Amino acid sequence: MNPDHLQQGAGASAPALAADAVTVRYGDVTALSAVRARFEAGRIHAVLGQNGAGKTTFARVAAGLVQPAEGSISVFGRHLAGGDVVAARRAGVELVHQSFALPPSFTVAEVLQFVGPKPGLFTRRGIERHWQGWLDGLGLGLDAGARIRDLPIEMQQSAEIARAMVSDARLLILDEPTAVLSPEGTERLFARVRELKRQGVTVMLVLHKIREVLAIADTVTVLRGGELVAGPLEAQDLTSEALAELIIGDGAARLDAGDRAALVGAAAEQHESHSLPDAPPALVLKRVSTAPEAGGKGLSEVDLTIRAGEIVGIAGVEGNGQRELVAAIAGLDPLTSGEIFLADRRMDKASLAARRDAGLRVIPFERNVEGLSLSSPLWENWSAAQLVGGSLLAQVSPRALRSAAEQAFQDWDVRFNDVAQRAGSLSGGNAQKVILSREMDSGARLILAAQPTRGLDIGATMAVWKALRQARSNHAGILLVSSDLDELFDICDRIVVMVSGQAVATFTTPWDIQAVGRAMTAAHKNRAEEATR
Amino acid sequence: MTSRLYPVLQTGAFILLALVLCSLIFAAVGLSATETLGAIVDGAFFRPNALAHVLRWGLPLLITAVGVVISFRAGYFNIGAQGQFYLGAICAAFAAEWMRGSPALVAVPVCMLAGMAGGALWALWPALLRVKAGADEVITTMMGNFIAAQLLVHVTSGPLKDPSGSGQQASSRPVEAAWRISESSGSSPVIIAIAALVVLLGWWLVNRTSFGILSGLAGRNPVMVTWQGAKVQRIAISAFVLSGALAGLAGSVELMGPNGRLASGFLPDHGFTAILIALVAGMSVIAAAFIALFFGALTSAGLWLPVMTGLPSSAIDIIHASIALFITAKAGVFRGLLARFGR
Amino acid sequence: MEDLIVAFLRSGTPLVYVTLAGVIAQRAGIWHLGLEGMMITGACATILGIVLAQSVVVGLLAGAVFCCLLALLFWFVVEVLKANQIIAGLGLTGLGLGGTALALTAIFGSEGAVSASFGLPRLGPAFGAFGGLSVLVAAMPFVVFACWLLLCRTRFGLRLAACGEHPFAARATGVNPGTMRLVALLLGGPLCALGGAELAAGSLQIFSVNMTAGRGFMSFAAVIFGAGHPLGATLASFFFALVGALGIRAQLSYGDRIPSSLLLALPYVATVAGLWLSARMRGGNAASSRELGQQ
Repeated sequence: MNPDHLQQGAGASAPALAADAVTVRYGDVTALSAVRARFEAGRIHAVLGQNGAGKTTFARVAAGLVQPAEGSISVFGRHLAGGDVVAARRAGVELVHQSFALPPSFTVAEVLQFVGPKPGLFTRRGIERHWQGWLDGLGLGLDAGARIRDLPIEMQQSAEIARAMVSDARLLILDEPTAVLSPEGTERLFARVRELKRQGVTVMLVLHKIREVLAIADTVTVLRGGELVAGPLEAQDLTSEALAELIIGDGAARLDAGDRAALVGAAAEQHESHSLPDAPPALVLKRVSTAPEAGGKGLSEVDLTIRAGEIVGIAGVEGNGQRELVAAIAGLDPLTSGEIFLADRRMDKASLAARRDAGLRVIPFERNVEGLSLSSPLWENWSAAQLVGGSLLAQVSPRALRSAAEQAFQDWDVRFNDVAQRAGSLSGGNAQKVILSREMDSGARLILAAQPTRGLDIGATMAVWKALRQARSNHAGILLVSSDLDELFDICDRIVVMVSGQAVATFTTPWDIQAVGRAMTAAHKNRAEEATR
Repeated sequence: MTSRLYPVLQTGAFILLALVLCSLIFAAVGLSATETLGAIVDGAFFRPNALAHVLRWGLPLLITAVGVVISFRAGYFNIGAQGQFYLGAICAAFAAEWMRGSPALVAVPVCMLAGMAGGALWALWPALLRVKAGADEVITTMMGNFIAAQLLVHVTSGPLKDPSGSGQQASSRPVEAAWRISESSGSSPVIIAIAALVVLLGWWLVNRTSFGILSGLAGRNPVMVTWQGAKVQRIAISAFVLSGALAGLAGSVELMGPNGRLASGFLPDHGFTAILIALVAGMSVIAAAFIALFFGALTSAGLWLPVMTGLPSSAIDIIHASIALFITAKAGVFRGLLARFGR
Repeated sequence: MEDLIVAFLRSGTPLVYVTLAGVIAQRAGIWHLGLEGMMITGACATILGIVLAQSVVVGLLAGAVFCCLLALLFWFVVEVLKANQIIAGLGLTGLGLGGTALALTAIFGSEGAVSASFGLPRLGPAFGAFGGLSVLVAAMPFVVFACWLLLCRTRFGLRLAACGEHPFAARATGVNPGTMRLVALLLGGPLCALGGAELAAGSLQIFSVNMTAGRGFMSFAAVIFGAGHPLGATLASFFFALVGALGIRAQLSYGDRIPSSLLLALPYVATVAGLWLSARMRGGNAASSRELGQQ
């Protein structure tokens, strides 16, 4: 008899997911090396690790999206060849992606129909009615007729979970589901996960915050640098300290306690407060509003002051006006009303080039789109900032720009071979350092740092934090947008919470985590209700 | 070294692939592939006076191609080189008509400038439509080509019609003989000088100015350049207008040089060939200078084929089209294939 | 008035068929600038089939086969070799235009035109003034409806749209965007062949070199104008055809006052205006895959 059949016969006792020496390579980079683990059915498993640890790759191997170079996986005893989404889905694995795999112009019903089992003709009303009934059964509070792009981010995640549940998933994997949620949203998600467990679904959560892991998981698996550090451990036997040690590894001792806690999301609240009372303002926004754009609401009457030598954090669930705020200060979104002052100069009509002359620097949200031109040489990426102010016909010396860029990269410890190499060939952390080397020069007076550590590993994250603190001690004002509250608590002097394009609350040290969380969700609920109405 | 050589090898490989496709097509319609390709090589490089023919066809192509390089580098697919070339020729012809009787030293530069202005204007409206309204420039410039072709028909059969012309093909009154910058059959020092100047200025603009670096960045990622504070719209419009002006210049060179008059539907493949030159040259102005001569040779072979061998000149169109089909294929694919079979 | 409608249907029908091919490709995420080349290939193959085999069916089949071959080539270049869609599309168009010219010369000894002794079946006198129209004109509304059903009311259509809009969403559910694009392009093959056949054999029964005269590009513009929706794109191509028909009408009435070549340019001007309008209505930026291998 075929051993596969025997295994299938073993039924309930087979592990929900078993990885046997799974190795994944992307080009020269080994993303996973010989990972071996068994995850029992019917439990909540957490896979924990820093960025670049291989968590997402592991999840994608399980879902059949990534073909392992070596090794194999089996799901509920059924051996999977790997790299075959259809086979993985048939075996009962569904993956909820971090950045959602939902076409924005589809309605929820269309998304469900698109992954669903029925190939034939349908009517729009027919599928809306059919899927609305199904959704109500799940209790997700989703409107089948709503378009994905009109949904707030938490509802999009619900739609993504609904998409995954269409085929009766037995193993549901959620990739960094809490990264986009408020603390309360996380609570709701965890309640839903526990409910799924009760219904017999095995859930695997890819996470990177110890606090969350300890709150929800039955077992914990830690990955670091593509290797399995510790196989599924019973969560109840673990302490936050021990986990931090496992996640960070050898470097743990060298980190400052606050930074370490922030990195692993271990809920430390010991923060020294840095108050610089009477420094002159680097940025003043007075009742700033912008026009609503597609998918967003625009800013409404935002007042904000950032003093020189101060780091002000912007907290909030994604899509509540953070992007609009950065674009408005950068001069890329015209104001409908209000005033913007850089230092004491009124600049709400000035171009970005003029604002840069006045000391504005931007580390944009999308490193690979707004920050760098990936297919252009490094030195050109670096030079752009030098050239934008002048005339288009100004003669330039590529040689001088190249050597200046080389010098800057060396100062910032960018690992590169040649200034002419494409920016896209750098790792995320190195790419961010290229941006830092361009933006954090001595002329910087106000720095807009938008999600500057997203997706970076520990080393690069520490480099960014160091750079921001350095800029603060050089008396630059810094606006730090982050969806990671631990990061904000660790390095900010003040935190402003944004909801629906408004600055709704301001917090200072000592931080009250619960209060910040509540401020983030208070009005968010209203928005969600509005969207489903 | 290998990293420099690789793109050249890759381009060569894809051109080879294109020639294989051509051979298949020739074979499919019953022509002998080797004979046809052999005849083309003969016509391009080994006929009497081959160099003169190469320069005659290659230099105007080069001028237009430098313009195409500038707009493509900036990320704008100005497919309208043909229309801008026609408009350049038309405007130069009108200027020549109005200037009748003035000395060549005044008239020739004025006609050239008029040609450049005509080409630039024909590039300006698609640029504005793109930048201000977001209308895709591929289709607008393409439609510009068709409109320009009709304008040329109109001009040669209307306002500038040569009354003595035969009914075969509408054409304009000839440019005054004293103003001609070359013989009908070939090139001349003046045209060579103009082409050299265009290459030099084009190289400087692309490699040694703020515009060159910023437009190169904008061409690959306009969002990033916007976030750096560059005026992307200004870069876009300049790139369009410059490329139109150069195509217009090529039009006036053709008019004042080898052609001597406008004829409806003259050189219908000029723009497309110039685009190919820019692509094969990998957006390098210096490389374009050499590639233009190669395509000039192909073009001259296209005219030679039906006369000398009875083979259809559309064979050249097939070669051009096949090259266009493959030339932008990405390097990574070959690397991937090599890696797969090498293991 | 009836004349105008007949002229309008005659010039509009080829556009509609080719536009549908463009819509299907667009939905799957391919900017199909090779429509012109496929259309003229369809036209040429149909007439050659009629002339050489004395059979409309052979002509249509030949057109479909050749168009599918071109579609396959386009898919290989764009999807496997990752070539730029716009340039490769122009190359495909060049291949169609050059290839048909070459075929004509190789078979008949001279470039120019070939006329056939008969064309596509007509509706017949029962339809009065419309009797001279071909069956493809009558079939057109049904084909449009079928395309709409396929693209907007089946799971296949949703999958196709996902491949174009968010390829990762397709991949994440086990749909291979590369395969879907191949299917989309191959579906477009016969549609382009029908468009070409109607152009060449619908009323004229003649094939001449370059006879498509930019209609393929107009169809592509109609796809953009119609926002990639089969009905919208069909309306857009009707609009272009109407302008063309009015231009011909104006030529008959005012030919002595307005130069005919300028009236002939009207459809192209209308296309530009259509693109401008649709861009303004959407307020967005035309997004296409642009990047070229620069050095």
